[in-house]
Amino acid sequence: MTWLATLKKTYENHADVIGQFEKKRNDREYALLPISHTTQSAHIEVNLDGQGNFISAKVVDKNEASTIIPCTEASASRTSAPVPHPLFDKLVYLAGDFTRYCGDVKENPHEKYLEQLLSWCESPASHPKVKSVYTYLCKGTLMADLIREKVLWVDEQGKLLDKWTTVMEEKYGEKPEIFKVIASDQSAAFVRFAVHVPGEAESRLWRDQSVQQSFIQYYDRELTDTDLCYVSGDHLPYADKHASRIRNSADKSKLISANDTSGFTFRGRFRSSREAASVSYEVSQKAHNALKWLIERQGFTIDGKVFLVWGTEKLAVPDPFSDTFSLYQDEEALGGDLANKEFANQIRLAIGGYRYDGDYKSKVIIMVLDAATPGRMAIVYYRDLNQELFLNRLENWHITCSWLHRYKKDGENRIRSFIGAPATRDIAFAAYGPRANDKVVKGMIERMLPPIIDGAKIPLDIVRSAITRASNPVGMDEWEWEKTLSITCALVKKTYEKEGFTVGLDTGNTDRSYLFGRMLAIADVLERRALGREEKRATNAVRYMNAFAQRPGRTWTIIQSNLQPYQARMGTEATYYNQLLDEVGAQLKAEHFTDRPLSGLYLLGFYSQRHELYKSKKEKEEETGQDSTNH
Amino acid sequence: MRNQLEFEVYGNYALFTDPVTKLGGEKFSYHVPSYQALKGIVESIYWKPSIIWHIDEVRIINAIQTESKGVRPIEYNGGNTLAYYTYLRNPRYQVRCHFEFNPYRQDLNHDHNEGKHFNIAKRALKAGGRRDIFLGARECQGYVEPCVFGEGKGFYDEVPEVDFGIMVHGISYPDETGRKERETRLWRVKMEYGVIRFIRPEECALIRKTGEGSAKPFGPVNMQSVDNLYEELLPRGGGSE
Repeated sequence: MTWLATLKKTYENHADVIGQFEKKRNDREYALLPISHTTQSAHIEVNLDGQGNFISAKVVDKNEASTIIPCTEASASRTSAPVPHPLFDKLVYLAGDFTRYCGDVKENPHEKYLEQLLSWCESPASHPKVKSVYTYLCKGTLMADLIREKVLWVDEQGKLLDKWTTVMEEKYGEKPEIFKVIASDQSAAFVRFAVHVPGEAESRLWRDQSVQQSFIQYYDRELTDTDLCYVSGDHLPYADKHASRIRNSADKSKLISANDTSGFTFRGRFRSSREAASVSYEVSQKAHNALKWLIERQGFTIDGKVFLVWGTEKLAVPDPFSDTFSLYQDEEALGGDLANKEFANQIRLAIGGYRYDGDYKSKVIIMVLDAATPGRMAIVYYRDLNQELFLNRLENWHITCSWLHRYKKDGENRIRSFIGAPATRDIAFAAYGPRANDKVVKGMIERMLPPIIDGAKIPLDIVRSAITRASNPVGMDEWEWEKTLSITCALVKKTYEKEGFTVGLDTGNTDRSYLFGRMLAIADVLERRALGREEKRATNAVRYMNAFAQRPGRTWTIIQSNLQPYQARMGTEATYYNQLLDEVGAQLKAEHFTDRPLSGLYLLGFYSQRHELYKSKKEKEEETGQDSTNH
Repeated sequence: MRNQLEFEVYGNYALFTDPVTKLGGEKFSYHVPSYQALKGIVESIYWKPSIIWHIDEVRIINAIQTESKGVRPIEYNGGNTLAYYTYLRNPRYQVRCHFEFNPYRQDLNHDHNEGKHFNIAKRALKAGGRRDIFLGARECQGYVEPCVFGEGKGFYDEVPEVDFGIMVHGISYPDETGRKERETRLWRVKMEYGVIRFIRPEECALIRKTGEGSAKPFGPVNMQSVDNLYEELLPRGGGSE
């Protein structure tokens, strides 16, 4: 289905949660908006009774400010010209006595507001509580009431105060609430209403679903200009303007915009944007509201680029950008050193949790949005995949692009090791460093999508870049290098997928780079042992790693000669390492002992050999024990 | 009737712009080519005003993948701007189509020679088309070659059904409808086992008027018969002087 149709369908599938606020981790509220509604932060709340009399008013706490307000097509995208929202709005629209406190305003916003509200109240779809708001606002005493209630503050001349100065603080005490919640001056305050009618539980108009329905019905009658919708194929009221604020509340860019009359985006064959295409109001509202909701719920943003993944039937799907560790999060079993087969089973289990006996048509949508210019937004990546296929591909990614990592911390801040695939963002940092520009990172994350979702090869420049960084341990802290190393190993493993490398040491592998990597690891471990626990300085092997990768033949002689004092110091203790060095060295053919640069495989040899040498005796015994029982 | 052509068309990128994203200028491609886009490709292979090409079906061979590029479209009032265009990557299609004589071109009745057009079309296809082939947009160069429709393996061979929803079918021009209007046709697209079977333009129920125009007249003023041209270029049969 086309992207708009898919979004519209997602909206309709979740009609049961429309208008319900959910909380994000950072305590920010978000909701799937009803059509013809938008959200605004309210600053002032006014309580009325059923007859339209003022009861009380208060300043709204910042955490509760998020308000669903009815809006028209024009008011949702209003700029400088006064276009009132239908019910809740700023003081300049609502207060009949605004000019008395703030000076003259152009074009009578208050009159326009009342006119629009009256039309709603007189329509068959009107609502009694909205009528009481109208009755109250007709009195034109809103500002006076708010000043009396000490919500708004005036100076000696009876004009609204611009700001609460330090002089006033000394005189009247602490800053009043209103100045804390509003960024500009008081006259920009946004007002919402609650109407208290005895016997009715919900007094807050912005949470009252019957008020929302009333407005939707009223506005539906107002829209009379119908056209053939390019998304639904029905003759429906036509949407002239489409939603902005898709990525966040300050975002002005639109997915569908149509005011380009100078460039030739559609002109040529068509004279107006309406001739080129038309989208119905209903589809536009539903699709955009669903998209905003999904982004708030489960999207993530880097430098304005939004990455969003969702399922059409069941919203939650495993995040393709996160690492295997996060996949296990809820599971108890989280092994460190697992045998390869066991680990693959674990991933299967973790992903299996997302498989369900639902509709076989269930789909997973991956959508990436970005804007090149402030006004327009583009869909830069869109993919719909069958859910089964998506989960299979993801499973395959986690199994094939895996290595042993030790950089994740659990809830109690203990370092946990895990086998699996690294998160896409971590890959970016491994390849481009922790200070990589967000523009680079967002581009790379998009480029990693085909390898994860389609099983394509990881772009070579990313792998190469990571190898180069992992070969330069002197340039970073030890933990950072270890993290870069294990991530690079995962990338290299994926690149040489056919050869099936594992964390476990492959003693039979005679690849030149792999063997050289093993030798480097032995030299590293030998020196580390000789230095003892207290000595923290880097070993020769680590210091020469970069040069070694470039010119292994020559550099190895340097490392070997530097190793001699340590071999001497360790005496007979070094015998095991020396023997191992000879053994590995013997596997290298004479013609391989040159200065030809090493491939990324040397990192795998290095990592696996080091891992093998650092394994405790007990672990090794356990493993051989297991092997013998298996046979 | 000998009027059917089967060919494969492929390229590195394709941009069958979704009209909804065309309004603002951040073009985003439809996932599959529209009837009109394929018709344009066939007309680039071979076309005469006396015939109308009809697309019967298209088979999607490669997986549908998108890739975005930053582009600098030229503003016609000077300067340029920034945009992201999202293209289809590595598209490959098999197309089956046929031509019919244009009933609104009675002035070209003398050109209604089935065997001639069929053979020219076949030769043109073998040569890669008479004009440049492009996939939806000018920057997406495409290539055509003859094939047997349905041969080879396709990515969606095992997929029973994919519903693409409502898409543009094509635009009806006055010279092919006889009406002095331009109309945009929509239809509901379904792909079954990788194949989309198009309905005929006149079967489209969702039609929207998008402008007016009239058919270009052809006559002695802007047309020349082959025999006359031959005579002009090679007087007396082209024998050496």
